[in-house]
Amino acid sequence: MPKCTINGKEVEVPQGASIIEAFKAMGEDICHYCWHPGLSVAGVCRLCMVQIEGIPKLQIACNTEVKDGMVITNQSEQVKDTVKWGLDFHLINHPLDCPICDQAGECGLQDQYMQYGKYDPEMAEKKVKKHKVVDLGPTIVLDSERCILCSRCVRFTEEVSQTNELGIFNRGDRSEIGTVDGKPLDNNYSLNTVDICPVGALTSKDFRFRQRVWYLKDSDSICPGCSTGCNVKVYFNEEGLWRVKPRYNAEVNGHWMCDVGRDTYKYVNKRARLLKVRAGQAEYWEDKEVFSAVMEAGRDLRESAEKNPNSVAVVMTGQYTNEEFKEFFDFAAGELKLTRFYHWMNDPAHAEDFDGLLYRGDKNPNTNGLKAEAKTHGGFKSFEDLQANLGGLETILVLGPENQSQFDDIKEKVEMFGKAKKVIWLTACGSEEINALRAPSVQIPMKTYIEKAGSFTNYKGLVQEFKRGTTIVEDALTLSEVVTLFRGHELDYKNRPQPLGGTKKNHFTEIRGQL
Amino acid sequence: MSYQVKRTEATSNWYLPGILTGLGFTFRKMISNLLHPKDMPTLNYPEEKYQYGPRFKGNHVLTVRKDGSIRCTACMLCATNCPADCIKITAAENEDPSVEKYPISYEIDVLRCVFCGFCEEACPVDAIRMGPEWQTAALNGSNFAYDIQQLAYRPQLKGGVRSVVDDQERHHAGI
Amino acid sequence: MAVQETKLLTEHYDKNEFQGLQGYLKFGGYEDLKKALKMQPQAVIDEVKASGLRGRGGAGFPTGVKWGFLPKNNEDRYLLCNADEGEPGTFKDRMMMERAPHQLIEGMIISAFAVNSKKSYIYIRGEYDDSIAIVAKAIKEAYEAGFLGKNILGSGFDHDMDVYKGAGAYICGEETGMISSLEGFKGQPKLKPPFPAIQGYLKKPTIVNNVETLAAVKYIIRDGAQAYRKYGTEKSPGTKLFSVSGNVMRPGNYEVPLGTSLKDLIYEYCGGLRPGRKLKAVIPGGSSAPVLTAEEAMKVNMDYESLAQAGSMLGSGAVIVIDDSNCMVDLLDVTLHFYHHESCGQCTPCREGTGWISKITHSIKNGEGTVKDIDLIKAVSEHMMGKTICALSDAAAMPAISFVTKFRDEFEYFVKEGRSKVKEVAHA
Repeated sequence: MPKCTINGKEVEVPQGASIIEAFKAMGEDICHYCWHPGLSVAGVCRLCMVQIEGIPKLQIACNTEVKDGMVITNQSEQVKDTVKWGLDFHLINHPLDCPICDQAGECGLQDQYMQYGKYDPEMAEKKVKKHKVVDLGPTIVLDSERCILCSRCVRFTEEVSQTNELGIFNRGDRSEIGTVDGKPLDNNYSLNTVDICPVGALTSKDFRFRQRVWYLKDSDSICPGCSTGCNVKVYFNEEGLWRVKPRYNAEVNGHWMCDVGRDTYKYVNKRARLLKVRAGQAEYWEDKEVFSAVMEAGRDLRESAEKNPNSVAVVMTGQYTNEEFKEFFDFAAGELKLTRFYHWMNDPAHAEDFDGLLYRGDKNPNTNGLKAEAKTHGGFKSFEDLQANLGGLETILVLGPENQSQFDDIKEKVEMFGKAKKVIWLTACGSEEINALRAPSVQIPMKTYIEKAGSFTNYKGLVQEFKRGTTIVEDALTLSEVVTLFRGHELDYKNRPQPLGGTKKNHFTEIRGQL
Repeated sequence: MSYQVKRTEATSNWYLPGILTGLGFTFRKMISNLLHPKDMPTLNYPEEKYQYGPRFKGNHVLTVRKDGSIRCTACMLCATNCPADCIKITAAENEDPSVEKYPISYEIDVLRCVFCGFCEEACPVDAIRMGPEWQTAALNGSNFAYDIQQLAYRPQLKGGVRSVVDDQERHHAGI
Repeated sequence: MAVQETKLLTEHYDKNEFQGLQGYLKFGGYEDLKKALKMQPQAVIDEVKASGLRGRGGAGFPTGVKWGFLPKNNEDRYLLCNADEGEPGTFKDRMMMERAPHQLIEGMIISAFAVNSKKSYIYIRGEYDDSIAIVAKAIKEAYEAGFLGKNILGSGFDHDMDVYKGAGAYICGEETGMISSLEGFKGQPKLKPPFPAIQGYLKKPTIVNNVETLAAVKYIIRDGAQAYRKYGTEKSPGTKLFSVSGNVMRPGNYEVPLGTSLKDLIYEYCGGLRPGRKLKAVIPGGSSAPVLTAEEAMKVNMDYESLAQAGSMLGSGAVIVIDDSNCMVDLLDVTLHFYHHESCGQCTPCREGTGWISKITHSIKNGEGTVKDIDLIKAVSEHMMGKTICALSDAAAMPAISFVTKFRDEFEYFVKEGRSKVKEVAHA
């Protein structure tokens, strides 16, 4: 384990580590663009220069291996001057696009320029003009002028997604990123290139121009898209959830996440959600106030269970946290003595599918947690059993999925469940499919993954905890709260989490007095 | 240092002299105003209105480009800088790639606005200015949420105020 | 009065039949290959090391030392001949390939034997159609005669050789750029370390040498290291082909011993300047070398040390003679335009910097420059040097700095008056 001295502080690094990795391990600042811990070394931006004692010429930190006893500094005058001019070289052909560029606020050039930069630009010649608003594929827009040709996106498509869609065309300062052979950038990991692009050259069509990043708060969470459980950061403000970006986790997802997981923000926002309890059937639905309606449903449930525990069936999906499942099973199996538990998975035949990188066929984040909890309470019965006993069922309690778009058989299940005498469906989002339920039903609004704290168990059995990010729908309930209300107890209404306040639209102008 | 004001004049210490001095001042002013009405500082509004300077911060004006389209690029710097949080902007993509971003909705809640001029200072492209108008009335609170139509194209602006910073010229010059 | 050139490599270049195999054999061709095959490979390397032969492509790195960097294992090795000859002003390799392709091939086989390489490539720039055809034909003749292929002349040494055509990129003359191009990628230089001798073509140990260097190996084996050392100086032994161009009476390729004075080269060998013209400047080693004023040029010898001491470099040996009918601003503009066009675009200082100084010089030439621009060229060039993956950035910065420093008066005149001090320059 070689030891080296960085900016006066001694640090020990693993064998074969490069100087820039040592800097990052120490938390020292070093200016860089083309180096990324998840990609190979390119050494093209020439900004991570350091001065090594004994070597007169400055070396780049990303391609130099740490040798025992090296004394390294990036605070000398020579290094600072080099970095200043290096940043200036990056900026001389960069367009004045900050007002219209999505990357403003999280832009590598902006941040490092403010920290190191040559604040007095001397370039008085015409800038090189390239293509703007180039459509690279179904998800990404390219702006060649902003590109600083760090080649991170090209290396990503070569090494990580291994689809080789991007390349650098032309040479010199006419170089542009482009797609090879007219093949669009269309793979399940394309939006990672937007994350790694240090400037606003690659922007996501989905997020383009929708919000400025300094208006967003972020919080750590786990993606509920599939059983891999990639670690993510969710970005939200009082208007809702705007986007999802990956977080580094060496065991689970490295630095990346798939595009399907990024779409999970769509079902979290208010427009897609169930805001109040919906009671009725097929064409006749009416909204009811949440807490009293749920307590009422709970009373009915308890009565049915007392009369005959086998007349209540519980259909569960692996989309709730371990803590919620524990409490639910304690209530359902422990108190109500129910025995009919059914596991609704989106596609059991393809549950083990794996695309080689991150995306799995099991679209439930907590299948393993559910199975583990169910095992201690008698396990699941098959759906054929449910089909056979439909006639004698009083109530079907469905712990519905958050991301309904992944459950292709929802229409059939709604048909099936509609044959019981009563259905209680717990769901985060309302949908037309559920509204087609034939039986008298109660739809209870549930909280989504960013609105609750808990833990998911991924496909490998790794338990990952996450905290609450924000609250979008105040009246939605977590499964634990539903259990409390089913038991007949009141919730602690004053201490329930509130959504972010603040001015939204100018709606209050409409409630001002009239003359 | 504490000041000790010693009032020794009879006009301040005693009841009647004090009243008479004050009343005397009032009547003197009244008579001088009757005799020299032109020296009165009072303006007979609305016949006489105060003439503000050229930098007066009145109602906002959103400038337009040469072709009449809105100059604003929806960068949201004005909304960020606004201390009253009264500007609400929704951006959208423009088909013209040299324009690229423009606001489809730009609302200023004038009742919240404190007319500080921070938005004008923050704008990088001279898209918003504080104009000279200052006495707009309305009948309903919701009429005070000004949208683009009112901010850029109201009749008093006569088709739109031209912006000083022109993107087309900038592109041509190679900046 | 023309002085006699030293005809070591170019002895038989005046005979047309020397190009073909029969003519080559007549004049002692492939004898030295037979001699080398009887030696041990290490002995060949030692002989070349002892001779002090330095790379003739531009860098001047001792060839024997370079060959010594190869790892001592049984990995496949490759020998690459750099016939890209991109350095502006250089045309010696073209003459060598067109007049004596077999000389190069023999030198390469001997070198390949020394470094134990089974496969070699001759990378010829795409513009040299004639050279490519001639060399390809020569290789075919060599195969037919048994000098290439399996078990060459019964020695047990196999060797295959191929010609590879470039496609018009100066950057493919850089050794790792050439390796990338050969591998089928964009001709962009690779990061060093790892060095090509350890990990080069297809990640195997690779030696890259210039045409002239490899041809000289034959003569070192023929005459011995000491005989080679008789030419040239202590630190720069041997002869070199200089491609002299510019405002001289007899431009062309001249083989002279290293150490010959530049004054002799221009006035004795090349017949001096045109009548009525005075010498203004000389670029001694291709356009990448810093320019020398007339006074400096008269004092300097053509070897690596003397030129380095004078602040320039020997480079590829392309001497460009400039008389007082030329405008230095115009010359710099043309030179920087070349580097701007040829930058590969990988690393930022070169990619943006070459464009920047080219544009500034162009503005000055169009009469739109300011005095600050002249200092700006110098500042930008200084910050481009030493910061990049390959030396193209230095190659662009060094002439810029030297022109602006040594001929500042012409630049200032242009800025002040809006036109050249010397002549009418064409405005693009």
